[in-house]
Amino acid sequence: MKLKTFYAEHESFILGTGFIVILLALWESVPLWYTLPKGMALFFTTPSKVAAAFQQLLINGEIEKHFYVSAIAFLAGLGLSVVVGLPLGLLMGRSQTLEALLDPYVTSFNASPRIVWLPLMILWFGIGIWSKIVIVFAGAVFPLLINTYAGVKNVNRVLVNVVRSFGANEWQLMKVVVLPNSLPYIIVGLRLAIGRAILGVVVGEFFGSSQGLGYMIASAATNYKVDVVFVGVAIFMTLSVILTLAVKRLESRLASWRPETAKTF
Amino acid sequence: MNAKDYYTEHRRLVLGVFSVIFLVAAWELLLTYVFPVNPFFFTKPSLIAEAFKEQVQGAKLWHDLAISSRAFLWGFSFAVIVGIPVGLVMGWRRRVEYALDPFLTAMYASPLVALAPLLIIVFGVGVLGKAALVFLLSVFPFVFNVFAGVKSTDALLINVIRSFGGTEKDLYFKVILPSTMPYLIAGARLAIGRGLVGIIVGEFYAASEGIGFAISQAGDTYRLPDMFVGIIILSVIAVVLTEAMRRLELTVAPWRAGEEVR
Repeated sequence: MKLKTFYAEHESFILGTGFIVILLALWESVPLWYTLPKGMALFFTTPSKVAAAFQQLLINGEIEKHFYVSAIAFLAGLGLSVVVGLPLGLLMGRSQTLEALLDPYVTSFNASPRIVWLPLMILWFGIGIWSKIVIVFAGAVFPLLINTYAGVKNVNRVLVNVVRSFGANEWQLMKVVVLPNSLPYIIVGLRLAIGRAILGVVVGEFFGSSQGLGYMIASAATNYKVDVVFVGVAIFMTLSVILTLAVKRLESRLASWRPETAKTF
Repeated sequence: MNAKDYYTEHRRLVLGVFSVIFLVAAWELLLTYVFPVNPFFFTKPSLIAEAFKEQVQGAKLWHDLAISSRAFLWGFSFAVIVGIPVGLVMGWRRRVEYALDPFLTAMYASPLVALAPLLIIVFGVGVLGKAALVFLLSVFPFVFNVFAGVKSTDALLINVIRSFGGTEKDLYFKVILPSTMPYLIAGARLAIGRGLVGIIVGEFYAASEGIGFAISQAGDTYRLPDMFVGIIILSVIAVVLTEAMRRLELTVAPWRAGEEVR
């Protein structure tokens, strides 16, 4: 009886983790009940092998080395997109002329996959870290810009007029009303930007690269080291989930005073 | 006076067109008169236009586009076929939601494109590998948007169907699916973007034909005008498809345009 109430209380957690555990167990047990044909066995790995590969790569410092390179490209690209996207979004929201002038580019770049520029970026910035930073930037800047812009557009007109009536200049208006009001939107933009930035890091390191987690995955795949591929994928998965959850938490803390309409783009 | 009226009325359009024309002209003039171009690293609009004309008349571009769209359509269709039922059941059955939600959320949040090299190596450089990648990237927007759509279905409508003795099938086809439509279209819009990323990455990684391959090959051989042609064509396709979905969304459900679930 007690067990039943415990289950009823934690049903979603039990079912959620149970499903993942069962999935992993099934995957692990495949070699026990099915002999893979030779060709397939080359591409197959089990969770325990992946864990062993992870441990080994951790000990010999491979992961640390690649992680460091990827983290720098990620942080630099994301930082650059905050530095550019945020002010530009604020300005576009405040000035109709600027909005009309930039809108064609923002709309078309945002709707098209930025990753197609990668070969050109490699040509221009070389195969070092700069081409990755630029591609991360290109991916992350638009969600930030557009959400900041949407936040500014959504600012309460009454508040703007009140502050204006009391003689505030544009800078003070920005500081007191516009920026605090667009903050929830900016956070949403940040969450989307993080996803795009990670995509940029992964794909950027696939091509013309000699370091980074993306490179580790690509080169392991070419050498049929499937367990190493999954180590890399698992690291990216974990990081994305942690970052997304962290920003989501921030979002829901701010959501208490966020207007309900027009959430994101 | 007339011109001024026109300007005030269509200010946005005028300024937008002006800014594009200005940029293209400045690009052309700067590279022609101020900095003479090194054609291996830079290119200018007139050269791109020339390459564009040449490619449109040739057969290779169309062949590449056909190859890429075939892989895209296969992956995308499977994403629709799999994503919609999973989303429906997940939204309707609470236990299924509990079981699948953490797993699928983690998958959706993570850059599955990291699996590209593995998929290409397992399924080959042909249509199958790319289709698998497109499927993997575009299935989750369908799942989660349909899920959100089912969750938002009006409980009253469900009760009405039940009261009048409707079956489970009636419920799905007469109430849940229609009220999910706008969400489904929003999901399709996201899925298109992600699917295109899948095609491009797959063809960058390993391919012998396709539009992504054409772009990366042009880059490798320093044919910048050809590369820009590929980039522009792909971007235009992406913009047109996304915009078409947005329009469709506006027609089907004008009250919730621009909203997104996740």
